Amino acid sequence: MHELSLAQGLIEQLLALAAEHKAERILQLTVSIGPFSGIVADSFTFGFDALKQERPLTKEAVLIIEIPPSSFTCLDCNRSCELEQEEQELHFGLPHAGLSTRSCPACGSPRLFAKGGDELILKQIEME
Amino acid sequence: MCDVCGCQLTESADSKIVEVNKSLLEANQTEAESNRKHIDRMGAVAINLISSPGSGKTTLLERTIDEIGNSVKIGVIEGDIETERDADRIRAKGVAAVQLTTGGACHLDAPMVHKGLHALEHQSEDGRYDIIFIENVGNLVCPATFYLGEHKRAVLVSVPEGSDKPAKYPTTFRGTDLFMITKCDLFQYFDFSEKEAIEEALRINPKLETISLSSTTGINFDDWIEFLHKLLQTRSVISGQG
Repeated sequence: MHELSLAQGLIEQLLALAAEHKAERILQLTVSIGPFSGIVADSFTFGFDALKQERPLTKEAVLIIEIPPSSFTCLDCNRSCELEQEEQELHFGLPHAGLSTRSCPACGSPRLFAKGGDELILKQIEME
Repeated sequence: MCDVCGCQLTESADSKIVEVNKSLLEANQTEAESNRKHIDRMGAVAINLISSPGSGKTTLLERTIDEIGNSVKIGVIEGDIETERDADRIRAKGVAAVQLTTGGACHLDAPMVHKGLHALEHQSEDGRYDIIFIENVGNLVCPATFYLGEHKRAVLVSVPEGSDKPAKYPTTFRGTDLFMITKCDLFQYFDFSEKEAIEEALRINPKLETISLSSTTGINFDDWIEFLHKLLQTRSVISGQG
């Protein structure tokens, strides 16, 4: 949600970091979008690619998006697991955060609690 | 061009890689955490109420005030795009209310609530409250992303809206503590399956508490009052620890 204003916030962080490191160009950056953040990666990239054109510092920056696997804790046996996302046509956002037939691989319970996964993190930048 | 990821990066001796690991939501998160401390200093617990427009948030607050307003000091921060109508309804009950009008933003964020807390403080002689309700802008999507500093978050779905809402709005239901089904006096007129709504909500968020009530007829309203009293008890524990 609000991918464009988040992309704007990202640009501002890039400007601050470039100033801190006295860089002239941002070459590449990696952003991690949590599977339950509600952020649509395509919209975010679209917004970033539009905004980055506004200055020479960011114009050529390549945005790499990582989506960590969704991680769950079983409320019955307490074990953690990571589950594969289901593929589906015409699904534009991140893999389904909602209902499915998933159950704990250890004990079979359907009571899986999603751990974190709602973060949006600027991980690293390459600049010169 | 890199034939692994397609990037245009070329080797550059002058380039450096900086590890950042900063959240893009950091600004709001930091402000929200500061709001939380502010609310604690006001002696209160805060609840963020989220729902689609018209689910009954303000009506819930009106009845809550009627039932416990004499023994529990309530303050309300109202959020809407335009008008003071909701704050006026609360004020008509003799309770302190601040209206935040966003002018266009579809959700409250932490900086807005920060200002609201200061305004609410000024409406109380000692600046203290027992419960602060934050009634978010009517919207089942966007408020979910913006932590405001609340102790508890409640999502309301009314009977006429349908029992498929938890399934359709998983991000919102994942991030909440309490799921309330409102307007339960209307069950007979709508095809709403309480069982379906609760099961699907619990599948997304097994830690959810659920209450089904009517603010107009009072069915199960006691369950909500009990929830509030339990929350107030946790507050005593916090302040007891200094």
